[in-house]
Amino acid sequence: MIDVLTENLDQFASGLWVTTRLVLVSFVIALLLGTVVAALRVAPSRWLQRLGALYVEIFRNLPLLVLLFISFAGLRRAGVDIGPWTAGIASLGIYTSAYVAEALRSGVFAVSRGQIEASLSLGLTQAQTLRQIVLPQAFRTVIAPLGSITIAMVKNSAIVGASLLALPDLLKQARVVNSNTFQTTESFFWAAVGYMLLTVTATVIFRALESRYAVRR
Amino acid sequence: MEYLFSPDNWEWLWTENNARFLFEGFLINLEIAVIAIVVALAVGLVLALLSLSPITPVRLAAKAWVDVFRNLPLIFLILYLALSLPESIRQGWQENAPGFLPEALRGQLVLAGILGLVLYNSAVLAEIMRAGILSLDRGQREAAAALGLRYRDQMRHVILPQGLRRMVPATVSQLITLNKDTTLVSIIAIQEVVRSGRVLAQTAGNPFVGGGDVQAPILQVMLFVGLLFVIVNYLLSRLSRRLEVRESRRTAVAVAVTINGAEDHAVPAR
Repeated sequence: MIDVLTENLDQFASGLWVTTRLVLVSFVIALLLGTVVAALRVAPSRWLQRLGALYVEIFRNLPLLVLLFISFAGLRRAGVDIGPWTAGIASLGIYTSAYVAEALRSGVFAVSRGQIEASLSLGLTQAQTLRQIVLPQAFRTVIAPLGSITIAMVKNSAIVGASLLALPDLLKQARVVNSNTFQTTESFFWAAVGYMLLTVTATVIFRALESRYAVRR
Repeated sequence: MEYLFSPDNWEWLWTENNARFLFEGFLINLEIAVIAIVVALAVGLVLALLSLSPITPVRLAAKAWVDVFRNLPLIFLILYLALSLPESIRQGWQENAPGFLPEALRGQLVLAGILGLVLYNSAVLAEIMRAGILSLDRGQREAAAALGLRYRDQMRHVILPQGLRRMVPATVSQLITLNKDTTLVSIIAIQEVVRSGRVLAQTAGNPFVGGGDVQAPILQVMLFVGLLFVIVNYLLSRLSRRLEVRESRRTAVAVAVTINGAEDHAVPAR
């Protein structure tokens, strides 16, 4: 059992590292885009709200695999080759941003109306109110959902590696080890351990953030 | 932009029976989703009951099972099963699959795909059900016990009817996720819509394989496939929202089994 790990440590380690980077970079993209979309959804203009809703409905209901095909093979065929790495993080980031936006929106609604009114009556603009009063609190109420979104992201990152993209992530490396050693259960077992390592790490980090920053209502 | 909307690049959609080919593939996705959700609900209920069992070893084992399969990537499970399911089982399915199933669902690897979907989703649903049951006021259970009901009857007549009703919206949300996840079986070569789309993009415009003279660029094909999912899943999410509203009206207390907007990862409040 253990020899499959020790003899192929390089593969597993590099796969784990690729998956980790994929998740980290996509998470940053998802957080940024998700914040913008959440801001659209609570904007004073009805049209901006609709735009935000459209974004969420499209990317939450579209399979990630289809998004990957569009962003890599589809764009390449159209003459825009963005490469597997960019396509992978962009797809995973955009897909997850829809969930982040929804979580943040519910966080925004949890901020009491009185605070917004107070801030507006103090002379802050709508945008300033959102950025300085509402969003910081919204983030602090949705730490737990963001944690589960991150865990889902670790799982979804495997789809990026399993699709046609030439990204050697953890799952891909497990398949390589499997085809070299013919020890399917062992190769997949160690990859599973790798994924568990990532999800447990994410859980620990978000638990810590939660106990430090969370606003309880 | 010009490439995207140019009518030449969309002509494939109304030539020959390309659109029908994709619709048929999409139907396979929906069928897989329905089969998987029905089986996963049954297995999930058993897992939820086991993870609430008063017998400690049973409870711990069930919880460990649920946690493992909930936290592994679904595509990982599908690929593993496709590689490790014994030849005899795979062939047995191919030979004995009921005849009313479409051809795409009688292939050797279908069982691996569906089994993977069921393993993963039953664990997720078990967690949703457990949360639904635990969200009930403990007085319900105590009242049932005080009335002299046995554990089995408490569950069957008092706890489950209420707890399970609360998880209906969450289950519909999970169905949306499952519906998207059915595309993953294309990776183990089951002929569903993503696979059909790729085949179409490769063969259309290639007279040597009978593809006629109209090309089907993969960008446009996949956008169309994506549109099918967006439409069906949007309708399902409307349904889920309506059920949620109805449910919160009925019970008067809104119990958020899922975190709004993050149905993918319904996590019970700890």
